[in-house]
Amino acid sequence: MSGIEITTPLHVRRRLRGRRLFEARILPALFLLPAGLFVFGLTVWPVFRAFQLSFTDANLAMFTTGEFNYVGLNQYVSVFTSTFFRSVILRTAVFGIACVALTMTVGISVSLLLNRDFKGRTVLAILVILPWAVPRVAAAIVWQWMFHDQFGLMNWLLYSAGFELFRGFAWFNQPVIAFTAIAIVIVWQSFPFIAVSMLAGLQSIPGEIHDAAMIDGAGAWQRIMNITLPMLKSLVLVLTVISTIWAFKIFDQVFVMTAGGPARQTELLAITTWREAFTQHNFGRASALAMVMFFILAGITAVYLRLIREEEA
Amino acid sequence: MNANRDFIGTDRSTAYHRMARIASLTGTYFAAILVGLFAVGPILWMISTALKPNAEIFTRTPVLIPSTVVWDRFVIVLTGDFGRYLLNSIIVSFSTVALSVTAAAMAGWVLARYPIPLKRYLLILILGAQMFPFVVLLIPIFILVRQLGLIGTYGGLVLAYLSFTTPLVVWILRGFFLSIPIELEESAMVDGATRVQAFRKIILPMALPGIASASVFGFISAWNELLFALSFNRNNPSMHTLPVALQQFIGRETTDWGMIMAASLVFTIPVVVFFLLTHKHMTKGMVMGAVKG
Repeated sequence: MSGIEITTPLHVRRRLRGRRLFEARILPALFLLPAGLFVFGLTVWPVFRAFQLSFTDANLAMFTTGEFNYVGLNQYVSVFTSTFFRSVILRTAVFGIACVALTMTVGISVSLLLNRDFKGRTVLAILVILPWAVPRVAAAIVWQWMFHDQFGLMNWLLYSAGFELFRGFAWFNQPVIAFTAIAIVIVWQSFPFIAVSMLAGLQSIPGEIHDAAMIDGAGAWQRIMNITLPMLKSLVLVLTVISTIWAFKIFDQVFVMTAGGPARQTELLAITTWREAFTQHNFGRASALAMVMFFILAGITAVYLRLIREEEA
Repeated sequence: MNANRDFIGTDRSTAYHRMARIASLTGTYFAAILVGLFAVGPILWMISTALKPNAEIFTRTPVLIPSTVVWDRFVIVLTGDFGRYLLNSIIVSFSTVALSVTAAAMAGWVLARYPIPLKRYLLILILGAQMFPFVVLLIPIFILVRQLGLIGTYGGLVLAYLSFTTPLVVWILRGFFLSIPIELEESAMVDGATRVQAFRKIILPMALPGIASASVFGFISAWNELLFALSFNRNNPSMHTLPVALQQFIGRETTDWGMIMAASLVFTIPVVVFFLLTHKHMTKGMVMGAVKG
């Protein structure tokens, strides 16, 4: 140190030390600041704010007088004692699980198909990705048109195939049938992601393993169930968790296709929360509903993060 | 006789194998056609409906290929009210991308290079933020934007969109910066460059493909967004973005399906083009990046 002090002029030394301090401490803080502000201000803080509001009776008056009262757990009590809210939560879970099961089945089947050797396979791989790229609102609209009672392609296909019932069949008048139509849209949009991810996984399995199993006399189905899928177990799990999270967040497709009708019977948690906030202006109750959803998804996300960590280890 | 019987025997087994192969190949092609139709059928139907004359839309026996191509609808879409919504969508999406990618490039680089205290938890937070249900964020952000007086402005919507684009883009870009060897930066600094210069002149240009795909990712999520746009500007048609306009259009009148399909097509095409250009990075960003950290 003393040697440098003699040979390096004082102001150069100060500047170098300043630069080192700047690059080690100030620069990273400065660079993290904007993104940090966005993430904390627009995701972390809102979650706490929603948590706070869920214990209040906040409504439109908070914009004029800025006032709201704390009502303790009342909003949660009214959510869980109302048969309507309870049925919405149950419906969201059942519909979500059904969508995940369908999406995973279709996605994995398509990935197994794409993993076979046939002409036109690369073309099919591109075609399969397309539904993923279509915006959710546009997908809901085009499927609504396909399910049109008078001029819809689906009804025409079905009654041409001999199902007389589908002549002029209304898809959106009964909740179970409307949910079937919505599930088809959801699966259509989410299977490509599963298929593409699974295909990448399938192609990472060495061919020798299959050859060995084939020599041992394992049939195609046995090879898939006993070798391929177990080898990709962690990938299948992660994909299942991701699609479960997506399924619980569904809003756009339902909002466009049925807007929750008929008689609020196809409302899912996200739609009910939105209506409570933006048509009833009951921000307190809506926040309680949102927090119910948050805790369900936080649980699923915790599982997801644990799976990722296991993958790393 | 003997020789003949032998011949038949071997022929039977090869014939069996050939039949099995043909059967399996037929099955494969049959499944491939079915999957292909399911995937692109609705998209083709959207294009077909947008282009054909009304007489061929409103018929009980569908017409697949239009007899004459009707372009008028696209002229109406681009010059009428939808032109305004298209412009709104473009302004909001591009501003969101510009802000979030700039912020995320700086943050992503710091997270890839510096030992930040609690970094592990920060990354989990960023990854977890992608999982947040929008409705949880919606109410507090709506209240915030309203109190800032930004309801009915582009700024309000952009602010809301930063909530979900920023974590995503930080995550993707950090992955890209990690893949660039740190030695490049170090040698630039040995040559007398400051750390900021090394970042700007060496690292940023190398990360350009990553920045491009992160931008596309951010653009698509902002372009497709319905929930915030609907909640902020439902009663303010001049501020509608395309998803809101389409949702309101279909809610109000469900008769002019040709126009609805033409507008949906204008809304869909940019996304599909962008998507196909970068989907490889996207899949990696979502699965491999997420799985392998």
